Amino acid sequence: MPSSTSSFKNRLRLPRLFFRQPTEAESVHGGPPLEFERPIPPIPWRGITVIVAIIVIAATTAWEIYCRSIGYGPTLNDNEDLWTLVRRKVEPESIVIIGDSRGWYDLDLDELQEALGKRPLQLAGGGMCGYPVLADLANDNNFHGTVICSIAPRLFFAPPGTPPFERGEKVVKRFHNQTPAQRMSEYLAMPLEEHVAFLKQEELTLDDLLKSIPIPNRPRALVPPRLPPYFGTEDRERRSRMIEACADPNGELARMIQKIWIPLFTPPPPPSYIPKEEFMAGIGKAIEQRFADAAVAVEKLRARGGKIVFVRLPVSGGLKQLEDQTTPRAKIWEPLLQRTNAPGIYFEDYPELAGFNCPEWSHLSAGDSVEFTRRLAPHLRTALKM
Amino acid sequence: MASVCMNLSMLGFFKYGNFLLENFQWLLARIDIIYHPPHLDILLPVGISFYTFHSLSYTLDIYRGVLQPTRSLRDFVLAVSFFPQLVAGPIVRAGDFLPQLVRAPRLRLGQVLWGLLLMTLGLFEKIVVADTLLSGSADRIFGYSGPLSALDSWIGVLAFAGQIFFDFAGYSTCAIGAALCLGFHLKDNFRFPYAAIGFSDFWRRWHISLSTFLRDYLYIPLGGNQVRPLRAAINLVIVMFLGGLWHGAAWTFVIWGLLHGSYLVIERVVRVLFENKPWANNFATRALAGFATYGAVCIAWVFFRASDFTVASRMLDGMFGRHAHGDAILSTREILQVAIVTICVIGVHWTLRDSNIETAVTRLPRWVVTTTWALMACAIVLTQGNSNAFIYFQF
Repeated sequence: MPSSTSSFKNRLRLPRLFFRQPTEAESVHGGPPLEFERPIPPIPWRGITVIVAIIVIAATTAWEIYCRSIGYGPTLNDNEDLWTLVRRKVEPESIVIIGDSRGWYDLDLDELQEALGKRPLQLAGGGMCGYPVLADLANDNNFHGTVICSIAPRLFFAPPGTPPFERGEKVVKRFHNQTPAQRMSEYLAMPLEEHVAFLKQEELTLDDLLKSIPIPNRPRALVPPRLPPYFGTEDRERRSRMIEACADPNGELARMIQKIWIPLFTPPPPPSYIPKEEFMAGIGKAIEQRFADAAVAVEKLRARGGKIVFVRLPVSGGLKQLEDQTTPRAKIWEPLLQRTNAPGIYFEDYPELAGFNCPEWSHLSAGDSVEFTRRLAPHLRTALKM
Repeated sequence: MASVCMNLSMLGFFKYGNFLLENFQWLLARIDIIYHPPHLDILLPVGISFYTFHSLSYTLDIYRGVLQPTRSLRDFVLAVSFFPQLVAGPIVRAGDFLPQLVRAPRLRLGQVLWGLLLMTLGLFEKIVVADTLLSGSADRIFGYSGPLSALDSWIGVLAFAGQIFFDFAGYSTCAIGAALCLGFHLKDNFRFPYAAIGFSDFWRRWHISLSTFLRDYLYIPLGGNQVRPLRAAINLVIVMFLGGLWHGAAWTFVIWGLLHGSYLVIERVVRVLFENKPWANNFATRALAGFATYGAVCIAWVFFRASDFTVASRMLDGMFGRHAHGDAILSTREILQVAIVTICVIGVHWTLRDSNIETAVTRLPRWVVTTTWALMACAIVLTQGNSNAFIYFQF
């Protein structure tokens, strides 16, 4: 009589392969290991490994020395995890700075602490649209503190899907979804970045070094404009300071960056696949939407007792001309204050704030940022009714 | 049966739950029934496709009688969740791994250092080649919303073809190296696939652990080559359809699998028709066949990478010159980078197609091995920063 198992198998009509007897080598768990073993190349491993280790250590040291010799110094990388580290320190009544790199470079935390009675937290960032951060703070029911929002019009009004907006979204997303591994990685990276000059993710990576090779592009190529080179340092509070080499407006570095800002801040041409009128209408709609969204966020914040002040920080030279032309005050700044019913400080309105010159046209030098903040503080106190 | 059902239902729930519901909703809508299924906010466990297959291989091998059940829960858990290959393969069969647990692994210096070299190679493939040299171009091209020029479209596809290889082969190489450092031996998952001549050859070289799994546990039980040609062809398409679906719950993956199934069927027909021709095995024919294989594999990658069919069709239109005035969005540097990497990878694969990395390392002069290892390590240090997650983590 057939066993119940085999009749079950027969009923299933499974192919023969299922029934074949295991080979001796196959039925061996409990027996000797299978014959499979990866071959190890028979070469002098010890010697090769020692030489490789020596080459890697020597090359890394040489690279570090070279980077320092051409002006790079150790500084933290500004990434989502460092931002999250600061964002986690936000308490219900904190003062936070949000927005673009002008808020990041131009506002001195010590001066603000002295003037406002509380040390602000720096959440502004390079090339960042401040709106996603503003919306996140507005939606944070625990937060009813004070927001100082820097407005560089092309960044704050950047539509969704553009790099400035994505940068803002990315940091907020990381704050909400940061994994323990990412957190730990940042804690491990910071001491290294504070001592090693070549650890600069925005500039000295292999990718960035390849990008710096001057190869002409095709005439029609829609290649994104290049970003400015290293010109600032950052600490664990995310306080950024311009390096000395950039502080001279006629210096080589400052002049190079001046040339980079112009294409970066020039509105891009409409894509070939969207008619110009349609594209311009889309931009107008996106700006209008940002006014509405900002007003909603400010209202939410205010409803919980929070405060906000918009600040327009110094900009100079050709970049100022470009901004005045492409994002005129009457079309961006005034409607923003009007729609949000929030106070604002425009640097040109106050003689004591208007006289600063940005060496590379967009940010104040480290020394000027302290003096500027000292002069700005009384206006902040008035605007915030402190 | 219970074990197989449990494993597959876990995979089905986590990976295909929303996909099935969406398609069910779509089908009902065809007959005017409006149904709004609840969206299941399912967090896909990392590497579920891999450890499900590890576990399945154990059950199926015991059922087939080629493996005896282990009496050790510790050994079973280790075989299913051995960390180096847990999240992105290779798929290690219980029959290959459990026997290695009989004795404590023997560690030899050469083995550990060879493991370290393989890990360096794997990280170099992933961090330097896939993420730094290729992923940027692929992402920009596949993420562009407008019409693309033929050159840019092809460069984007070639970039992705390289990226997916270096990303996945890099992970597999790291897994093999890490396992070696711990005293375990995992089989190769890739064998210079871009030097394949024909699609059956390609699948003997690409993701070998998956292709052999599908062959042994699906294709052969369906009848393998022992059935009528038409039935065998249908079986091939079924297997590749499921292979496509294994990669992700999206119709683009299904089309990718079906394309490969069709390629395999066409290859069989071509072999039957031309195998005995005198020119069938000469160098020019083989080179042409290799080139055609690579081209067809690249076309299939379009569906694998595209987020939806709109993107895929825009890419194919660009590749076949249907955008007369398509946009040029890649810089000359990016084009050169992708072209150089592609030429190098094809060159290396053809050089080593009948060999393996161990043989190559043994034959190379010592100074070449040393310099290459040091250069790879330096490039990894230089690349720094946060790399992208491995593509196959999502599967």
